[in-house]
Formats: sequence, C-alpha cells, structure tokens
Amino acid sequence: MTMRLRFLPTCAALVVLPAAATNAQAKKTTRNPTPRAKLAAECTWKPTDGWVKRQAEFFDESKHDWTNDSLRTALLAAAGLTAPLKAPVNFGVHVEGRDSTPPAGAAAMVAALTKLAATRGSTWPTKSVVGAAGTHAVSMLVSLDTGLARAALHRMMEAGPAESPAVDVATLEDRLRLVWGRKQIYGTQFRRGPDGKVELAPMEDSSHADLRREDAGLPPFKLGLCMAGAGKS
Amino acid sequence: MSRTVSLTLELSVMRISIAFVGAASIATTFPLSLDAQRAKPAPEKTTHVSLASETAGREPKAFAPLVGSWVITKDAGNNVLFIDGRVWKRGQPAGGLADKARELYGARNEDFIESIKAFAYYPIAVYKGLDNFENGEIAVRFQMIGGTLDRCAGILFDVKPNGDYLTVRYNGTEDNVVLWTFNNGVRKFVNRATTPTPLELGTWHTLKISVHGTQLKSWLDDQPMHDYTLAHPVSGKIGVWSKTDSMIEFADFTVTPTSK
Repeated sequence: MTMRLRFLPTCAALVVLPAAATNAQAKKTTRNPTPRAKLAAECTWKPTDGWVKRQAEFFDESKHDWTNDSLRTALLAAAGLTAPLKAPVNFGVHVEGRDSTPPAGAAAMVAALTKLAATRGSTWPTKSVVGAAGTHAVSMLVSLDTGLARAALHRMMEAGPAESPAVDVATLEDRLRLVWGRKQIYGTQFRRGPDGKVELAPMEDSSHADLRREDAGLPPFKLGLCMAGAGKS
Repeated sequence: MSRTVSLTLELSVMRISIAFVGAASIATTFPLSLDAQRAKPAPEKTTHVSLASETAGREPKAFAPLVGSWVITKDAGNNVLFIDGRVWKRGQPAGGLADKARELYGARNEDFIESIKAFAYYPIAVYKGLDNFENGEIAVRFQMIGGTLDRCAGILFDVKPNGDYLTVRYNGTEDNVVLWTFNNGVRKFVNRATTPTPLELGTWHTLKISVHGTQLKSWLDDQPMHDYTLAHPVSGKIGVWSKTDSMIEFADFTVTPTSK
C-alpha cells in the first residue's frame, strides 16, 4: 500500500523563517536573499556560500541543453514552477503540516511518472532530458506518492550527480526514511512536538550531518534548524 | 614443512593454474614472472594493519590509493582511513596512479592502469604489506559517514596485475552485502546475501571474509552473509573498496593468510 504524502513545497515556500515569521516575509526573503538584520546571525546566507554556489551550478540552465522540452513544460506546470529557478532552490527544510496544496495537474503527472518508473528501460526525466528545473519538478511531484518516491529515488541515485539534483535526492531520502520507520540522515525533516513547537524529526549520526549536507549541497545544519524555526537538538 | 605454491600463468584469455610442492625448488627450476619473484611469503599469522604512525590529513602509507581520495583522519582520537566521496569526480583515478601502479606491479603496470581507469567509479586502496593472498581471512571495521548516491564499504581481494579484482561489500543505500567481480573493464554481480541488514550511519561495524580454495564466506558483524563457491581460486593483492561519493571510515584492517 502506498501512502499519500503532502506536496513538497516549492522553493519559495521552502524558505521557512523562525516560527513568528509570516509567509509573506518568507517569499520576500526568497526574492532578496540579502540577510535581514532582524534574523539571527546563523539564519542568514550569502550567494557566495559554497552550498548556494553548488545549487546555482546545478540549476544553471543558460545552455538550454535538455532534449524533451514538452515534457519539461508539463512537469513545471504540474509542479507549479516557473523556470529558471534561482539558487538556493532547496533549503532542505520540510516541516510537516506546512505543505502547500499541489497544483491541479499534479495528480495526472504523478500517474504518468508512476507508469514511467514501472516501465523497464524507460528514460527517466533527468537533467539532460528535462533540464535542471525539470528535475526539481520531478522531485516535488514524486514526493506526493511514497511508492513512486521510492522508485524515483533509486532512478535519481542511479543517474548520478550530473543528472539528479543532489539536494533533492537528500531531501527525498530523508522523507522516505521517516515513512519507512527509520531515522533521517541529513536533518531536513521537521515535525511539531506536543507543545506545538517545531522539532527535528528523529535523526541518526547528527555529528557528521554537516559532511553529508555539504556533499548534497544543503546549507549547514545550524542554518537548517534556524530556518525551520526549530530549537537546537 | 612442505608448502603448496600456486603459480598462475596468463595465456591470452585462458588461465592455467599449476600447483607445486616445495617452493624452493620452483624458484630454481622455473622462470617465474616478475610478480612471483617479488612476492613476499604469506605469514601464517594475523597481521593487524596499524595506522597509528600515519599522519592525519595525508594519504595512507600502508595502503596505495589507486582510485578516489583516501586520507588518514581522526575518529575518537584514533587514526582511521577515510574515503572522502565529497571530492569524487566521475572517472578520476587517484593522483599519481602510474607511480602507485609501478610500485605495486613493477614494469607490468599498463594493463593495471587501463583496468583501474575503467573502474574509476569505485575507489580502491591496495594494502602494500602482502603481495599475494590465496587462503585465509580478511576483516575490516567500517563506519558510514555519508554519500548522496552511495554508502559502500568493501573488502578488495584477488587483485590481479591486469587490474581485475573481486570485492565483498556492504551498501548502506541498499542494506545488503554483495560479491562483485571486476573483469576486463566489466563489473558483474555475482551473489547477494539474502539477509537485508540496515545499519545506522556513524556506527562501527565489521565486515569479514574467509577464503579456502574456491570457498568464500562472508560475515557482517559476525552474522553469516555468504557461503559461495568461486569460479577460480583466489590469488592476488588485497585492500579496501568503496563506490562513487561514499564517505566511509575504515579501521582495524586485519589479514590472516593460511596455507589452505
């Protein structure tokens, strides 16, 4: 049986400020990544930070070198994305209950991706097929269905770092591990505790988290916690 | 005490193994290959490869890193061998590959280099202290640190002068132990242990193999994983193995060669 998941927020919605911040503030911050004076020092980033540059490198689509433009367009529409995406695209912060509602066309595209994933030898929509923005759309869409997400994660890992956004692979793996009853390994998943406060979902080996996050192009752990509005664990 | 020595002759694609009794007489009677002449006799005792005198931040001295970025690092104050997948680049052998291959295989290193390049997705570091492992046990402790695509820790063995080898490895993204062969630039799945074994990152575990003739057994944390009959007896160098962007710490590499 597959479990239905809530829609993984878009890049704009992923910018989650400390609990008191409003959604409007979050969107404003995305458009202008300049650190805001009232944010805590550890909750800011610069375009020159390594993880931001790494994402910018992957999501640079200036060469327009994807092969299936119609599929790309359909994927972007189904995920509610507009290309080009500006780095940082994924902050690796997913708070349970803060998911947005999927666009109307998402369900049909999830069904199409499920069929594709089940077809042996089929071409998975990787960067060279649908562009970097297309791969991010795929990551968002597959997160709606656990069974599809599992198959997609395998395809994305198999395709390698040049074809799959490592930051999305990491976020998806964390999300699935929690669904499977295991602990997350990157620290991208948050929940609300009994007192309503945002807290980090169970995680293993947090002492090496920043090594893994650097490898995946995620921001430092401290920044992730800050953005989720979570207390330090 | 007589000792059985297996001499392998490579004739095109056909491999002929000849067993002799009495190593001393062979050395004077037959024109041995350069590798056989250079081979150190296998001690019949457990060798624990100590990294204590190695320098953190440098490449290991006890192992020859041929693919990947292998460095000595500290874990709880002790030196460990770290494969750093963060700097993994597709198809890149380790720096100084030609020199390292020459050190391991003398003049006959061209085939070795070509094969290693073909397998460049798979970081390997060859143990320098034993030229030929045929029978016995090899064990290593490992700790998975990370890797977005892979989290693999393996024992490398049967490393031939042409770059072919075998590995028994644990994969933390698949939770399984698998035996793979690498021959003539082709990686082939051989046998998967039936028990899926999820391991937590940041925890130490032990992978062990035993080889007796063509019989291969493996264990993960003392749990039996493989009991498999190989196509050929094992004869070659040994070491540690990993895959693409894996970040793994290795420690306590031990080898116990036996005569049978």
